[in-house]
Amino acid sequence: MKSWTGLAALLLLTVCSAGEEAADADDLAEQDWEEITAAADGAEIGIYMWGGDEGLNAYIDEVVAPALEESYDITLTRYPMEAPEFLSRLRTEREAGSMDGTADILWINGENFRIAKENELLYGSFADLLPNMDAYVNEDAPYVETDMGIPVEGMQVPWGNVQYAFQFRGDAEPPETMEELFSWAEENPGAFTYPNVSNDTGAGFVRHVMHHVADDPEILETFDEEWLEENGEDVWRILRELQPHLWREGRTYPETLEQQDQLFSSGEVDVTLGFNEYRAESLVDQGTFPEDTQTVGLESGSIASTHYLSMPFNTTEPEAALTAINYFLSPEAQTAKLDPERWGEGHILDLDALSEEENDAIESLSGEEIVPQETILPELDARYVDWIQENWEQEVVQQR
Amino acid sequence: MSSSVKSWLLALPVLLFMAVFAAQGLYRAWLESVQVDGAGLFSAYTELLTGRTFWASFGISVYVSFISAVLSVVIGLWLVRLLHRYFLRDDWKLAVWFPMLIPHFAAAYLTVLFFSPGGWFASVSASAGLDGFPILVNDPLYIGVILTYLWKEIPFVVLMLLPVYQELDWRMEEAARSLGAGAWTRFKTVELPWSGPVLLEVWLILFVFMLGAYEIPVLLGVTYPSMLPVLAFEWFYQAGWSQRPLAQAMMVVLTAISAFTAFLLLYIIQRSRRRWLRGGMRA
Repeated sequence: MKSWTGLAALLLLTVCSAGEEAADADDLAEQDWEEITAAADGAEIGIYMWGGDEGLNAYIDEVVAPALEESYDITLTRYPMEAPEFLSRLRTEREAGSMDGTADILWINGENFRIAKENELLYGSFADLLPNMDAYVNEDAPYVETDMGIPVEGMQVPWGNVQYAFQFRGDAEPPETMEELFSWAEENPGAFTYPNVSNDTGAGFVRHVMHHVADDPEILETFDEEWLEENGEDVWRILRELQPHLWREGRTYPETLEQQDQLFSSGEVDVTLGFNEYRAESLVDQGTFPEDTQTVGLESGSIASTHYLSMPFNTTEPEAALTAINYFLSPEAQTAKLDPERWGEGHILDLDALSEEENDAIESLSGEEIVPQETILPELDARYVDWIQENWEQEVVQQR
Repeated sequence: MSSSVKSWLLALPVLLFMAVFAAQGLYRAWLESVQVDGAGLFSAYTELLTGRTFWASFGISVYVSFISAVLSVVIGLWLVRLLHRYFLRDDWKLAVWFPMLIPHFAAAYLTVLFFSPGGWFASVSASAGLDGFPILVNDPLYIGVILTYLWKEIPFVVLMLLPVYQELDWRMEEAARSLGAGAWTRFKTVELPWSGPVLLEVWLILFVFMLGAYEIPVLLGVTYPSMLPVLAFEWFYQAGWSQRPLAQAMMVVLTAISAFTAFLLLYIIQRSRRRWLRGGMRA
């Protein structure tokens, strides 16, 4: 029903006002948390999120949704959609003045957060309303304050931390630095590739090349046009030199990470990659990835990325969305997220704020450390992603 | 009520539907494609038409759509002429129409399954001792895309042509034969007057559809040059929406090209229908 009224509103370009006005962030700030959870009782909410990871989908459907149903009588529906698509949809709804949104929670970060914030697609500053934010998340952590150079201002809360890692099949000595990776690709023609930079995994690989070019990782944390003018060409040159050694001699690139995973699993390429250093475990268990898959976090540095939960401007159930997001941040939900059999994804809890049992539970589920703390690289300013996406095809793919 | 008013009234629901969906969408695309601030009203169009990316995509799109549509129509026609008597039976019909039931993206995955270097045909040919199975998926010549379109669209051609052939007056054929007409003359004078317009119409439907279809080229195409809809999708969503005017300008240009091709062909069909019928009479 909801989506139908939304559609009708869009088509006729009329301003449709929902019968009951949803509370805004300021109204909710005046309420007790108990009042908010009480108002959430029996609500049906939706979450827009990328659906390309089986383990993640299983985590939402088998852990989070039943728990919300049980504790708060909230029904959570997952709408698998890529961030650019749901943001585009929200923008159209914003233009049409449709306050009757389909989803109540968004999974976003970085570049997508910037777009959402600049186009006023978000609900508002809500982080301070959440008890678990206060209790379990270290609010001084840099990722709470800024997301790829953009001030967060409480408009989203961290949900998970992941590192970028590479998966190699059947190689006794996989490369350990970017430099070694380039020569490895040269020695193993056709074995390596990375996805089209239109998706975050592909752009993430180019961000690593940028770190490789930059002398000091801190330079890239804020957008610097001058740096790009001086060093941008080096980034493209490295990628151009790499190109002939890639899968299909670099004539084409996998369109998505899913496609590269498929090539990896069928043996057409020997490397796949991506954010979340533990993502291969469940895929190996299911037999999708080969037994001898080896995950490598580069010693030369691996980008750590935080992703966040936020709320759209047109949520109809803000109380239930807040209650659910608060649950997403709880030690229980965060610990279950670590389980490599499902998602195996990094938590955002402040270990000092947890009890001893909670700490033990986390330790028992955390896999072997793949990316040592000292090699973690900061995420780049989101505007560099625009630069990569606007120029990569012209500077690399077309230059053959 | 005069018959022309009545026919307009009958067409009203369709016209209304088109006004709400197609025209409104096109109008919004147009609005987003012209730049009211600064850069010049048609700067997106200038950038689009002077850039090499668009023309590369345009070239590959026209090539793929043209070849696929022509081959579908030719093979479809050949099948119908060969087998139209069998197609009176439902099981034959079902067998040839089956691919129409498969969605386009599923057809693309089937192509990957069978034709990719790690796929079924490659492993069969490898176990038969043949090396070097050609690359047919994500290949720069778009062979995988064309193969998938053929598999999907030939049944559609059969569906559209079958009624023509089943209604055809075959006594004309016998008359032509007894007058000593060869195979080509018989085809031209007996069949073409009836099947020609349908063939052209089907070709047009297929060509315009393929020019605007996204699923198969995104799964089986290459990064550069990508087919127009894939490029449009990329421009529409990535790089912080900064390339949206380009995407919208491209959609407007593409719509204009499709509409122009359609008018041209329908005009030709109208004219040749008359000519073919006259030619048919003469025989």
